[in-house]
Amino acid sequence: MGFDNLVFFASEALTNLRRAGVMTFVTVSTIAVALLLMGTFLLASMNMESFLARLQEEAMVTAFLVPGTASDRVSALKMQITAFDEVTEVTVVTPEAAARELFTDPADQKLLQVGLGEGTNPLPYTIRMKVRSSHDLQALVDKLKALPQVESVSYGEEAFRQFQGLSHLLWIGSLLVIVLLGLASLFIVYNTVRLTLFMRREEVIIMRLVGATNWFIRWPFVIEGFLHGLLGAAVAVVVLAVGTPFIMARLAALVPFFAFDPGAVALVKLSVKLCLMGVVLGVSGSLLCLRDLNAFGREM
Amino acid sequence: MAVCFSRGSWLYSPPTGAGPRPFFVTAMIELRNVTKIYPNGVRALNNVSLSIPAGDFVFLVGPSGAGKSTFLRILFREEIPTEGQVVVDGKDIVRMPEGRVPYLRRNLGIVLQDFQLLKRRTVAENVAFGLRVIGAAENVINARVQETLEQVGLSHKRRMFPDELSGGEQQRVCIARAVVNNPLILITDEPTGNLDPMISLEIVQLFLEINARGTTVIMATHNHHLVNKLRKRVIALVEGRIIKDEPGGTYAYE
Repeated sequence: MGFDNLVFFASEALTNLRRAGVMTFVTVSTIAVALLLMGTFLLASMNMESFLARLQEEAMVTAFLVPGTASDRVSALKMQITAFDEVTEVTVVTPEAAARELFTDPADQKLLQVGLGEGTNPLPYTIRMKVRSSHDLQALVDKLKALPQVESVSYGEEAFRQFQGLSHLLWIGSLLVIVLLGLASLFIVYNTVRLTLFMRREEVIIMRLVGATNWFIRWPFVIEGFLHGLLGAAVAVVVLAVGTPFIMARLAALVPFFAFDPGAVALVKLSVKLCLMGVVLGVSGSLLCLRDLNAFGREM
Repeated sequence: MAVCFSRGSWLYSPPTGAGPRPFFVTAMIELRNVTKIYPNGVRALNNVSLSIPAGDFVFLVGPSGAGKSTFLRILFREEIPTEGQVVVDGKDIVRMPEGRVPYLRRNLGIVLQDFQLLKRRTVAENVAFGLRVIGAAENVINARVQETLEQVGLSHKRRMFPDELSGGEQQRVCIARAVVNNPLILITDEPTGNLDPMISLEIVQLFLEINARGTTVIMATHNHHLVNKLRKRVIALVEGRIIKDEPGGTYAYE
């Protein structure tokens, strides 16, 4: 494509956008609304992901040792666990300390001594640790379980699994929304291009008569679809950029533990994704409509 | 038999009309046993064979529905014959791949009855369209448009819009657009159908000038005054068959 052609295609596309004013407005708005909804769902999923990651990072992993493990073995085990890459803080909780934690009420402590007899404590040694990153959690749990002195490992897996299930559900929901909205916008872009093609059918017929290749005819429409997508994405990105801090502030007031600040980098990445989605929508809508230009000759 | 030859890079050669034909070219258009049956069963052409030499001027006559338009549409590959072979400028255009059709049309000028001008573009832009779509450079476009508009006598109206022109002038713009890329063949379907006798004569005069520069001209018409006055080759079609092919003929197909 030469420079003269490029200028011609771009000016044709811009003229077209201007002439089809209302249709351009409808298409750009539709793409903008679809991308805005897609962006909102993506943000919600990102929020959930970040919440889960924090949940995992802040989770305290507790390894319950086999009852009767000697204290020197416990110290050796602590050294061994401290050497793990996945671990940050390691503390040993003696059976006595565990009992004190468990039965904070002095009446309860007394009852325990009466029930079990003086000097008996059924609680085992436990080693508590923090995981360095949420990604390391599973590996750490596996390593701990492999140790012969460790009887069981606990990290609040039930609550975590529930949140993870919720997060998966949100991802599937987002994907479904993205696909459905994508198809709906594709249909609208397709119809707009069909209408503009119909408005310009004489031009297309003449182009074919004087020997324009199909791609020469398609280019202005493809550029038009590209601009539709880009404009729609730009509107969605601006609304998201303005709206996100506001919504997050509201969310923080309502559910403090759930709200998060996605950060500038994540927002820029999201904007780029939305722009790409917009452009893909616009261009594929146009191309879909311009598959068979040969039918135009039949109108001559 | 048609012999293939190439005019080379016409876009960058001085625009001097179709130019003299090499001596070895015997036919610009050749139809061999061409039949066209439409999906609805209408037999528009029935075993048509003919040969039109380069530089010829041919009137195509016949009643409405005789197959004239189908004949012309086959020449620019808008229709594909059901049977038979069509050779244009040495190329078998029936077997031509779809992607080559635009390149065939760049060597043809096509003028139809309804003027088919772009109303939102000026006269000059309409004429330039024929060159722009084939990727000609801006300076080539400007020079050729000016020259062609002078040829059809409309250079002073180059900035006007089609609606500001008379019917005859609009048709001359169409002719300018058809010949701006210096075609080998000019195909015209009832170009004077909507015009008064005086203007019709002017239009045909223009075709004669274009023909004199070497372009083969094929004109489908119902205008018997023109046909009888000019005494060019006349091909008469009736019910899809050639019933007369006469050099220096008159308008008659009964």
